[in-house]
Amino acid sequence: MRIRFKLNGREVEAEVEPNTLLLNLLREQFHLTGAKYGCGIGECGACTVLLDGEPILSCLTLAVEVDGREVTTIEGLAGDGELHPLQRAFLEEGAVQCGFCTPGMILTAKALLEENPNPSEDEIREYLKGNLCRCTGYVNIVKAVKKAAEEMAG
Amino acid sequence: MMAQGFRLIGESTPRMDGIAKVTGQEVYSSDIHFPNMLHARVLKSPYPHARVKRIDVSEAEKLGAIVVTYREVPDVVYCPRLVSTPEATYKDWRVLTGRPLYVGDPIAAVAAESEEMAQRALEAIDVEFEVLEPSFDPLDSMRPEKTSIHERIMYMGKEIKIENNIACTMEIEQGDVEKGFSEADVVLEREYRTNRRYHCQLEPKTAVVRPEPDGGVTIWTTTQSIHNTRLLIHEIFGIPAGKINVVKTALGGAFGSSIQTNIVVPIAVALALKAHKPVRLAYTREEDLHEHCSYQMIFNLKLGAKRDGKLTAGSLEAILDIGAHQIQAYPLLGCLVGWWVSLYKLPNLRYVGKAVYTNKVPSCAMRGFGNPQITWAVESMMDELAEELGIDPVEFKLLNHVGLGDLFWGQGPTVKSIIKSSGVEEIVRRGAKLIGWDKRPKPGEQRGRYRRGIGFGRGFHTSSAGGPVPGTAVDYTGAMLKVNEDGSFDYITALMDCGGGTLTAHAKIIAEEIGVPLECINIVRSDTQTTLYDVCTHASRGVYAGGMAALQVAREVKRKLLELAARVLDAYPHALKIRPDEERSQGVIYVEGVEGREITIGELASMARHKNWGTIAAVASVRQGSCPPHFTAYFVEVEVDTETGKVRPIRVVAGADVGSVINPKLAEGQIHGGFAMGWSMAILEDTPYDPENGDLMNRGFINNYKLPTPADLVPPDRFTVFFANTYEPTGPLGAKGIGEGALNPVAGAVANAIYNAIGIRFYELPITPIKILKALREREGG
Repeated sequence: MRIRFKLNGREVEAEVEPNTLLLNLLREQFHLTGAKYGCGIGECGACTVLLDGEPILSCLTLAVEVDGREVTTIEGLAGDGELHPLQRAFLEEGAVQCGFCTPGMILTAKALLEENPNPSEDEIREYLKGNLCRCTGYVNIVKAVKKAAEEMAG
Repeated sequence: MMAQGFRLIGESTPRMDGIAKVTGQEVYSSDIHFPNMLHARVLKSPYPHARVKRIDVSEAEKLGAIVVTYREVPDVVYCPRLVSTPEATYKDWRVLTGRPLYVGDPIAAVAAESEEMAQRALEAIDVEFEVLEPSFDPLDSMRPEKTSIHERIMYMGKEIKIENNIACTMEIEQGDVEKGFSEADVVLEREYRTNRRYHCQLEPKTAVVRPEPDGGVTIWTTTQSIHNTRLLIHEIFGIPAGKINVVKTALGGAFGSSIQTNIVVPIAVALALKAHKPVRLAYTREEDLHEHCSYQMIFNLKLGAKRDGKLTAGSLEAILDIGAHQIQAYPLLGCLVGWWVSLYKLPNLRYVGKAVYTNKVPSCAMRGFGNPQITWAVESMMDELAEELGIDPVEFKLLNHVGLGDLFWGQGPTVKSIIKSSGVEEIVRRGAKLIGWDKRPKPGEQRGRYRRGIGFGRGFHTSSAGGPVPGTAVDYTGAMLKVNEDGSFDYITALMDCGGGTLTAHAKIIAEEIGVPLECINIVRSDTQTTLYDVCTHASRGVYAGGMAALQVAREVKRKLLELAARVLDAYPHALKIRPDEERSQGVIYVEGVEGREITIGELASMARHKNWGTIAAVASVRQGSCPPHFTAYFVEVEVDTETGKVRPIRVVAGADVGSVINPKLAEGQIHGGFAMGWSMAILEDTPYDPENGDLMNRGFINNYKLPTPADLVPPDRFTVFFANTYEPTGPLGAKGIGEGALNPVAGAVANAIYNAIGIRFYELPITPIKILKALREREGG
């Protein structure tokens, strides 16, 4: 099947099987390997991408579902060599260790800040609970999201 | 002594691989892709103990798949972990097996053009098994009438017989234990049983193998040691080491589960050699759950103390459930006694350790290598003993702790050294003050649904397995540093960064020592062919041992730079200094007090090229002559819901003595992550087995294996981390390790906090809501 969608701001086309997963489409056909396979059953959040701005689990999403829609991956977040404030805050606050959860974590945080530009620490922790991290204990991640929110608010 | 006068050490700097990681451009082994690459799947035993009677792969081959079975792989018995010397290495592994010993044991593997085709081929393999009697509990497994799991294994090139499924043992006695206990006023003896945890590193085990035209292979894999991966593939397949190149990729967490070469590597090598094409073998999460787990341990622990609080004797009997294979059971028996005797001074002691085979997933090191397990038991018993003696646990532990000037057993009986820096008093006293230790409730006095308690646990971990004599652990690191013609530096090391920011720490050490801006240091993406040997990133050795190699090459390069600059500037080398010039992004060599006598490192390096002086470079292979402990102390406040049995963290205060703190924010991150892992060790994590089918009861992921989410832990404003002002004289610029000490005392602190809240002690991990409710009902009725 042929699908057309917007990927990181660019119109793209792809030939997919009815059972092709979005995660595999992104990683294998478009070589966007920022979205990770962590569990394949929608529990760890490492495969998170944005579909029309909403965080979704690309390991549980069929590629055909994104036909005509807009997908943003971590590779599409930084504009013209400028890091997104979330990316910068994750770096500066030490919120990245092994980095495997980082793309999914940042994209989920981006969706949070669009819904709620000034979240409390508890709201951040609640919103991110579908994204697992085994390295950081989430402390510096929560700090980074808070810092990015402050910076984006100006 | 504390660190002073540093420019970069002690300042928080972003990790140097950070931009790649936040933009999704970092390359992990699971991201490696080749156009003509085949995808592999592994056929695994559905039985915990069986023998393959017949295997027919013809249908799979008809589908076009490349197939290898246990009959075709090299007939080599090996140990996948190459950290220990032969004297401490027992071998009982094969690449694929016709006698599976646990559910998930690999029997055959296939490779095909897509994962789907590989799966179809796998399902077309016809196998007939003879099912054998399994053992799931080490105490049951040791009974003489039980079927042998391994009849014979290899040790030092010879076959040895295994009796009663006991893989290996260790016994140590010092002083007169009976006399020691008879002198004690209070003696406690308890049995403790730990959980069997799963590392749950976020990246499942993966190997990509590309056969090369010269008969060699190039390997990208999840590993903590590229060199040991190469050595093992050489040992199994006989390919000359120079033709095996293991390339460094980022590692999506490991926590000890890739100290050994993961089974995916030799399987993918076997397939790639047969297919003559690159092969990718990436485990699913379910498969990864059947690849590794921590050691479950049963301790019989006995401690005696006099009324004045001095410990008189200790005895420890430890039974380790190692699962179906030895990865490092014998070294662990040694480390376990080392951790135990290095916590508190025991004038008389006896230790008996037994590692026992069971028909379960093979156990391996998991952040702390047995230290979190024994520290939980000891910290629980020290708390209980203090109460019996009527002494504050803080004072009791400080009175007996192994500290400055004492002998530290580091990584077991063959790795001993003297402690030369200790911040134990400082972190314990300050932590107690910060949490409000004096105001904590009396145990068991509270009523009502929610009850809060504060617990204290302290501990340590080694920094490397270095020592003054060789011992039975290999521990050294190689480093190379060269000056580029623009004044930048290429730093080349085989040492892996498991996520802690270890290589950024090395770059800081180099930049600090030479006196150049940090951005001058380029960490080269390297491989086994272009690096010196490094043993492994384990044992919290990355900064302490690996960083020392970085420091030595930095010193040598600096010496050479000053010698050449002395010619150019007409000055004496020892009178020259180097200052960082942030604007020009490089170092400037100058004569102090004489204006105009200066040259940038870039100018000097260019001159060296034009004048044919050669490359300014240094190479070193460094062994640390010590293994200093880094110390930690945790004070944790919890709240127990007596209606649901759930425990919630309220506040955490953590103090750490890691010597010089190279990168404070990342060091704090180690503590945060260590707490999270220790917290879930205490109350959440386990991998129980279903005795009906011998498989893990949890065959999925967190729906059955509980991991804490951000919502389950404390927010930043209730988590205090501080560092002691210490300087380790044997460390690079005063630094020690941090990664494992960050975890080791946590479960003990949490267990003591639960006791403080509800007045009940638990001797089995995890302390689940069901156990709490049951214990509360037994005591309070209802």
